[in-house]
Amino acid sequence: MMRTPVDILNSALPFLYFITIWVYAQAFFADFPPAKKLKTPLLIIALTGHLTYIVLRTILFAHPPITTIFEIMSIIAFSITATYCWIEQRTGIKNTGFFILLLPFTFQAVSSLFIQDLSEVRPVLKSNLLGLHVTSAMLGFSAFAIAAVYGTLYLMLYHNLKVGRFGIIYQRLPNLEKLENMATFANISGFGFLTLAIVIGLIWLSKTFENVSYFDPKLVGTFFVWLVYGIGLTAKGIVGLQGRKIMILSIVGFLTSFFSLTIINIYFSGFHRFF
Amino acid sequence: MKFFALGINHRTAPLELRETLWLSAAEVQQAVSLLKTELLSECAIVSTCNRTEVYGLLDGIATQRDQEELIQEMLAVLRKTKAVSHSIGRSHFYFLASCAATRHLFKVATGIDSMVLGDVQILSQIKEAFQIASSSNTLGPFLHRLMQSTYHVAKRARTETAIAEGAVSVSYAAVELVSKIFADVSSKSALLIGAGETGELTAKHLAARGIGHLVVTNRTRSKAEDIVAPLGGTVVEFDAFREQLELVDIVISSVTSPEHILTTHELQTVMKNRSHRPLVMIDLGVPRNVEPKAKTVENLFLYDVDSLQDVVDQNLQRRKAEIPRVNAIVIEELREFSSWLKSLEIVPTINDLRAHFELIRSEEVAKHINRFTEHDRELMELVSKRIINKLLHNATVELKNNHGVRESDKIQMLQVVRRLFGLEKSNEQDVGKR
Repeated sequence: MMRTPVDILNSALPFLYFITIWVYAQAFFADFPPAKKLKTPLLIIALTGHLTYIVLRTILFAHPPITTIFEIMSIIAFSITATYCWIEQRTGIKNTGFFILLLPFTFQAVSSLFIQDLSEVRPVLKSNLLGLHVTSAMLGFSAFAIAAVYGTLYLMLYHNLKVGRFGIIYQRLPNLEKLENMATFANISGFGFLTLAIVIGLIWLSKTFENVSYFDPKLVGTFFVWLVYGIGLTAKGIVGLQGRKIMILSIVGFLTSFFSLTIINIYFSGFHRFF
Repeated sequence: MKFFALGINHRTAPLELRETLWLSAAEVQQAVSLLKTELLSECAIVSTCNRTEVYGLLDGIATQRDQEELIQEMLAVLRKTKAVSHSIGRSHFYFLASCAATRHLFKVATGIDSMVLGDVQILSQIKEAFQIASSSNTLGPFLHRLMQSTYHVAKRARTETAIAEGAVSVSYAAVELVSKIFADVSSKSALLIGAGETGELTAKHLAARGIGHLVVTNRTRSKAEDIVAPLGGTVVEFDAFREQLELVDIVISSVTSPEHILTTHELQTVMKNRSHRPLVMIDLGVPRNVEPKAKTVENLFLYDVDSLQDVVDQNLQRRKAEIPRVNAIVIEELREFSSWLKSLEIVPTINDLRAHFELIRSEEVAKHINRFTEHDRELMELVSKRIINKLLHNATVELKNNHGVRESDKIQMLQVVRRLFGLEKSNEQDVGKR
């Protein structure tokens, strides 16, 4: 009975995200008034649809969708959309949606294409600590993704301002300082969540496994990501580094964390693969 | 009823004539009072540096007079107000009637008829004109409603289109650029080098936006002090301005100098010393005050007059592209206004009144019809219709018999009738359907 709505939502979500992005694009590039009015309601519809999908999937398969890389991608897509939605409501800045929502669309499209139905989950995954670990890690990753998009937008506007190009990017994006502040806020939040995820992960690890190598590729990768952000935020806080360089570091940090999440998970064997 | 607009603007009249006919608030008050006493039922005058326009409603008798004769009489009132002895060239004036006059006023209010496209000041000037008319008792029900519609059109144009967006002067363009880099100028400081006119204007705009601190330097110290006096801030010696470069966030330079006063090398050092904190430099000097190569220094945003003119040109292009959208709003609102106007004509009001009574009659008859026999039903229809006709007879005759009634009084009477019997609601529903 439950299967059909889950399948329908699984297929519908990428289209829902695509339509939302298209409307955001119409509002940004064409300044089309109906698109301006419609974009936020559409975003809320996509978010609600995604939440329904996650809840139904959790009920149907009797475990939260955090057991495979493609389930996690869907969670990341949801988490980025939810975070963006919150930022949009909080700051009133609605012109960056097109760029941010490209990420959840991509993640959800890949997830919808390759997701598998796992009814049986390894007992090791049935832990509250693991749940907390994954939630913190996903929130951290989403925050880094959003920071990277703001970093990219910063660089685009920076370049336009430097060369004196006063087109759509110049007209529609928020100012450089605002973009930098938003990216910094996202990076600090992401770093906090990642630190929490690492601490909880290490506690869970020592409780669950007896002989674990702390040189596991995923652990090394995650530590490297943590280090990149740690250095960046320290440089900003202590040395006062700001502007273009810190935004580049923000993008490098995200790419590193993306590499850690996907490539290492798929191509390197280690204890961190449970499926 | 005849509404009209008579005026001159920057397209039809030379500056000399616009100057001659520019009316102060007191003069506008005097002119509207004279026009109402001698010729018009209602009137208002919009007078700015680029236009002087009379908006008026002709009286019943005046509508039958020769148009050219009326125009000459109105020009005579303007001449009298301004104490101009020579004749004013009629060819510079435009005369627009009814719908064309309303459309013209709507266009003026949106700023698409202004010399500076999308000008925002014009709306406050129109508001002032209506306020003067109101205080001079020359504003009747027609102009009152027109005033509300005009404000509505202007508000829609500003909120639904980009007609007023973006800076269209060099000094504003500089401020716009600053606001594209910094979120809040109240936490920033600016250094003004030199006392050039555009530089001073830019500093004034920054002060109006609440700049945190303003530092001014000039070779002649007294000139710098003159700038600081009304705006607030501090004055530094010209020889010491380089020390300020590490402290401020915005630099506006407008010095007359054959050589660059700041080189790329100097600015590289400055940026290093300020930990590459963003610095906006507006170089208004011709020849340029800052070495153009300094543009390449990281986190330094350097703009010269040409860059600022590019911003202005882009914004003007953008505003031009919005004209069709503004025109569409004007036409929409014009339709709504015309619909209101039409409802204030005698025959439609009588028709609406009759239809309203007939609706009530037929509904009440339908409710109780089953209580009567076939024969009584016909009788009831007949009797109820006769009652309605008798009730409406006197009102219909009075509405039709309006010779000698002033136009504004007639509108007021029709408005009262519509309000008393709830006819305005049915009119609004018609507009909504459209």
